[in-house]
Amino acid sequence: MSARTIKIGATAAVLVAALGGLMYTTLSEGTEYYKHVDEVMANPTEWQGKRMSLHGYVVDKSILGKPDTLEYRFQIQSNGKVISARYTGVVPDTFKDGSEVVLKGQLGPHGFDVSPNGVMAKCPSKYEASKTPGAPGI
Amino acid sequence: MPALGTFTLLAAFVTCAYAIAASVAGARRRSTRLVESGVGAFYFLAALMIVASALLIHAFMTGDYSIKYVQRTSDAAMPLAYKFASYWGGLDGSIMFWVSLLAIFGSVAVYTNRDRHRELIPYVVSVLAATEMFFIFLMVIHKNPFATFLTTPPADGAGLSPLLQNFYMAIHPPSMYVGFVSMTIPFAFGIAALITGHLDDAWIRAVRRWTMIGWLFLSFGLTLGMLWAYEELGWGGYWMWDPVENAGLLPWFTATAFLHSVRVQEQRGMLRVWNVTLVIVTFFLTIFGTFMTRSGVVQSVHAFGEDRELAWLFTGFMVLILTFSFAWVIYRLPLLRARHELDSFVSREAAFLANNWILLFSAFFVLFATMFPTLSEAVTGERLTVGPPFFNRWMLPIGLILLTLTGIGPLLAWRKSTTSNLIEQLRWPVLAFFVTAVGLYALGVRVWASGLCFALSAMVLTTIAQEFVRGAAVRREASGTDLFTALIGLVGRSKRRYGGYIVHVGIVLMFLGFAGEGFKQDAQALHKPGEQVTVGHFTVRHDALKVTTDRQKQMVTGHLSIFEDGKALGTMTPAKWYFNKREQEPTTEVAIRRAFTEDLYIVLADFNAPTQSGTYTVTVNPLVNWVWFGFAVMAIGTGIALLPDRAFAFAVAKVPEGAVTAGMVLLIALLPSAGFAQSSTVPTGSTVPDSKSSLRKQIESDIMCTCGCRVAMATCPMGPSCHGLQELGPKIDAMTAKGMTREQVRDAFVAEHGGQDILMAPIDTGFNRLAWFLPYAIGVVGAVGIVVAAKRWSHHEPASAYPDASAQDTALKGRLDDELRDLD
Repeated sequence: MSARTIKIGATAAVLVAALGGLMYTTLSEGTEYYKHVDEVMANPTEWQGKRMSLHGYVVDKSILGKPDTLEYRFQIQSNGKVISARYTGVVPDTFKDGSEVVLKGQLGPHGFDVSPNGVMAKCPSKYEASKTPGAPGI
Repeated sequence: MPALGTFTLLAAFVTCAYAIAASVAGARRRSTRLVESGVGAFYFLAALMIVASALLIHAFMTGDYSIKYVQRTSDAAMPLAYKFASYWGGLDGSIMFWVSLLAIFGSVAVYTNRDRHRELIPYVVSVLAATEMFFIFLMVIHKNPFATFLTTPPADGAGLSPLLQNFYMAIHPPSMYVGFVSMTIPFAFGIAALITGHLDDAWIRAVRRWTMIGWLFLSFGLTLGMLWAYEELGWGGYWMWDPVENAGLLPWFTATAFLHSVRVQEQRGMLRVWNVTLVIVTFFLTIFGTFMTRSGVVQSVHAFGEDRELAWLFTGFMVLILTFSFAWVIYRLPLLRARHELDSFVSREAAFLANNWILLFSAFFVLFATMFPTLSEAVTGERLTVGPPFFNRWMLPIGLILLTLTGIGPLLAWRKSTTSNLIEQLRWPVLAFFVTAVGLYALGVRVWASGLCFALSAMVLTTIAQEFVRGAAVRREASGTDLFTALIGLVGRSKRRYGGYIVHVGIVLMFLGFAGEGFKQDAQALHKPGEQVTVGHFTVRHDALKVTTDRQKQMVTGHLSIFEDGKALGTMTPAKWYFNKREQEPTTEVAIRRAFTEDLYIVLADFNAPTQSGTYTVTVNPLVNWVWFGFAVMAIGTGIALLPDRAFAFAVAKVPEGAVTAGMVLLIALLPSAGFAQSSTVPTGSTVPDSKSSLRKQIESDIMCTCGCRVAMATCPMGPSCHGLQELGPKIDAMTAKGMTREQVRDAFVAEHGGQDILMAPIDTGFNRLAWFLPYAIGVVGAVGIVVAAKRWSHHEPASAYPDASAQDTALKGRLDDELRDLD
């Protein structure tokens, strides 16, 4: 192997290692779990205090808003498991009974604490309507 | 009609196959006739696709709801402009739109390069036709936009999502597609060069131009997407690293890298493998982006929904592209050897190389982070997500490094910069950097990323100014003219270099806008009438909440008084609109007060009608308009770089004038008020007299019955006892009794119902007439194309194997010009 190849190889190795290491550390801070309610409720203690995106459906008639404030309490469920959630802030238009939501936050002893701006409700129709059974013409 | 459409697509498929076969066979047997036949088939393909597009647009205009695609993405109540835009509003149509654009662009590219790159053309045609064939194949077997209902078709369509019924949304997708599609052409030329082994630097010139065009459209599309998100989605920002946004950004990175590294190949004959690779990767990423949006592989706001079959088809196609392309690259490696080696790390080449690595790394990083949830699920079974903070954390330093390179790179000499040379060149830019940095610190700016960005921007601008001034000074001495003329002459002589600098100015302006994000302030609050909130130096007072209705929607509007440092500035009215039939998805009508320094951006997030209270998100977005303004500057720069020499030769003095006008046009296009974006009022009024005898009957056939049957009053199946007829009939009688004409009655109904959807057909005037006319016009263009092609084929002149001497001369001359120009 010539000196040139070694030089290039070493530089590349160092660069790759540095970037990889940096990526790994930032990734472990930047990532969060993406979980469904039933997965979490199967073993709630294990998930307490971990940041995650929680996926579920808003339980009908469970949304309670404190009058004249932006405080909300509601429940979300999937596959029969229910979790209650607290949130302060503005909720999206599509957040209502039965809508599919993803909440960002963490699980506490009394339920799911949603972080600010952490409520995302999926649009009922995306760019093109999803294939809902019974929808006309699909 | 639908049957004709399907037939046209099938014909296009067969034509594709023929074009590929004929060109490849012609090239291998050196038969000019076969090659020409292949090229002719390729033009014919474009004509066929134009006809198919016309058929589909016609179906939208006339509301042919027996076609599933038309039924799904439009309805009778939509304004005509959006009916037109529905063509590319859904999956099936967007694929067809893609093919049509590629067919047209490809034909133009083949036509303009047919002499200059004679040896490449057959393979260019076959690569382009193969790409088209894949997409047509998708349509024919899986996503036929002309598919009809087997049973009774519904009477009306489901309508386009209200979010998409927006000015920017009508033009953002086409612009993106044009950008994506034009990246196919460099790829086709690249592959043709690899196959034929004509890997001299000539092909790269054909490729460069098309990459620039594609790059411009891609930038335009991305900017429009940002504008749309900013104005329509109402979360106060314009970029959130959504997978689909990223899909558009990936090829942008690699195309930008190519536009830089191609300079190194031209100047020094280096990076040849690299450039071919970039061309291939850029094309691959456009296909990959299409795949991501359309297959449901990633979760996104505007993904088209999940579709396994399509995902597999696309995967197969992508694997094929990569294997085929890189097999050829490896086979041709001996021909792609660099002519020189890197002399020094302090040289222009090295700066370009660094720029390329960073851009490529950005593309890789964005791709990785976008796919991360999918990857993590595949590997560990746990779906892990990464959000915008993760992207920002990485892209921020990357952006700043790129900005630094933009400032230093142009000042380095080719091959090797000496130390004295470096000091001489970098003196002023570095000074500007430190002066700005210290100044900002003294002014109390403590957001380090933004501060650094401002200081770097100052450096880049100084660099560019210095380049212009020094170049002009040298030219003035040489030519003895005044400084201004010298400046224009300078730009005219090396358009790409100075056009490129202007693009850099645009990028810097955009970065200023991005840096402004660091000073963003916002507040969310619930207000009863009279209550107020202060954000930055703005105070917003909630005065009242009003609920109004028109024919299309119900509108809830907050009325706010705005004060800046205690001074009244007027009112703002953010609103929520609930479109009929889509009450579940209200649209957010953001109120924006624009200024060059900062935007005041108010969203009505929630409301309580009985108590008259409203919840608002108030955001102050500093410098955000510079992002849009920066794009306008960028477009001007690209335009200058793209100007043909011929235009420049006699237009040297005209350039600044033209550029200013273009800038104004762009600015006007880019900065319309939110109100303009929503305006869908259509001019009404016409005074043609009409016979009175059958007046009531005529009016009844004009006006839709309100009982919900969606047919004309005259043909309402409910019969004379229908409540709609009983309601409308007396009104018409009363109006005709007053002596009103058919048009006046019609206008009165339109006015009363707040829209033309009360009419059976839109009023046949002004813009509407144009819209009616358009599909026919497009159809005629396509038909003429077909006829011309057929004619050319039928009487074949005795083809000489070589073009006549004069044609060859022009071709040769053009090529010579190209090479001479690039010597400087």
